[in-house]
Amino acid sequence: MSLYRLSQLTKTYRNRTVLDIPFLEIEQGRIYALMGPNGAGKTTLLNILGFLGAPSSGSVHFRSHPVQFTEPTLQALRKEVVMVDQHPILFTTTVFKNLEFGLKIRQIIKSDRERMITESLEMVGMQDFAQAPAHRLSGGETQRVALARAFSVAPKVLLCDEPTANVDEENQAIIIRILRHINEQKKITILFTTHDRPQAATLAQQTVFLNRGKITTNAPESNFYPSPIGAKLLPNL
Amino acid sequence: MDLIFDSILSAIHLILSLDAEMMNIVAVSLKVSAASTLFAGVLGVPLGFFVAFESFPGKRLVITLLNTLLALPTVVIGLFVYAFISRRGIFGALDLLYTQKAMVIGQVILVLPIVATFTIAAISRIDERYRRTAMTLGANRLQTAGVIFREARFGIVAALVASFGRVIAEVGISMMLGGNARGFTRTMTTAMALEYDKGQFVLAVALGIILLSLSFGLNLLFNFFQGRYDR
Repeated sequence: MSLYRLSQLTKTYRNRTVLDIPFLEIEQGRIYALMGPNGAGKTTLLNILGFLGAPSSGSVHFRSHPVQFTEPTLQALRKEVVMVDQHPILFTTTVFKNLEFGLKIRQIIKSDRERMITESLEMVGMQDFAQAPAHRLSGGETQRVALARAFSVAPKVLLCDEPTANVDEENQAIIIRILRHINEQKKITILFTTHDRPQAATLAQQTVFLNRGKITTNAPESNFYPSPIGAKLLPNL
Repeated sequence: MDLIFDSILSAIHLILSLDAEMMNIVAVSLKVSAASTLFAGVLGVPLGFFVAFESFPGKRLVITLLNTLLALPTVVIGLFVYAFISRRGIFGALDLLYTQKAMVIGQVILVLPIVATFTIAAISRIDERYRRTAMTLGANRLQTAGVIFREARFGIVAALVASFGRVIAEVGISMMLGGNARGFTRTMTTAMALEYDKGQFVLAVALGIILLSLSFGLNLLFNFFQGRYDR
């Protein structure tokens, strides 16, 4: 089932087109890797998909409905799509209250909130840190709590901007495991940006390559490695 | 040197004896300064927050204007308010001149720009990612503003502490609008000025010590709360 459908989408900054996508479809329940060199437009695309920014032209359909890029509409849609930044920031309070923020906004009752927070923290292996001050955590721990905060609100889509770029190898493995787990268990569609080709191959089912704002390749991950013919899809980055 | 040491020793004795007149002066100072800071906070924090958080035409001009008002001399404010509340002024009928209310009005004008500009600085320093994070978690504008406000809380408390320090130490407005009436509008600073005129240093030095101690205590309290957050 189609989750996003982008048509003739462009984004322009000061007369410079940073994104030009004639068509892109993202299906529900899959994991997508978004690759491309710096300045390719990956974060800009992520912002549009996360309803944090509007395109300059074109249309976006979300769950078969055309998206009106007006603040009230976007605010409602943001309850279904959560984005985790490359350098996520946690509110200067406890880990528990960080996770509670999104749940309170969704008016979830206290007993359910506590259960959902505990489950989410257990999933990222941070259950012992519930009452810890969030701003004292290490980079890897921060990234894990940010992920827990994002998926605890049960979004339809999780957008991650280079989720493993600033963490050590051990945390990279943990984060990849978490992303795969929440995709499988909670059926959350995941779209992440990365420069790490093997990581995309390990985690994603579909990889989209962007270069200078244009999609150069959009293919299932299985197309890249299994055969010498498929390998031709791999662009030079 | 003897004059200084004798005055300090006598002042300490006066403080320890909790002299009634001295205590009354301190109470008036605290009451007026607290009221001024409270009203300036009620007006200045939302004003500063709005200016920092929202985008609107003329925003730079408003910030420049507020920065300019930081340099407003107390005597100019005293004169300005006097023109309105003196018997011939448009609010003359309210009989505000030489009352604590008049002092509060003048002091609010004095510290409103301090509260607003410090709040603007505190909000502007907050990482943009807090706003984005709140938004992506589904927060509306008010809830996002709440996150930013919470993250800037120590900066906003600093604005209020600085404002309290400014009003409790000012003399021009208190003298011109309060009139330095004994037991009524006599504050620590106006009493110190009066005692100096009389050549009586003991009470002046005692009040000076109390003023500095209050300021020190306030900053200590502020650092204590900030320390709790850092730990």
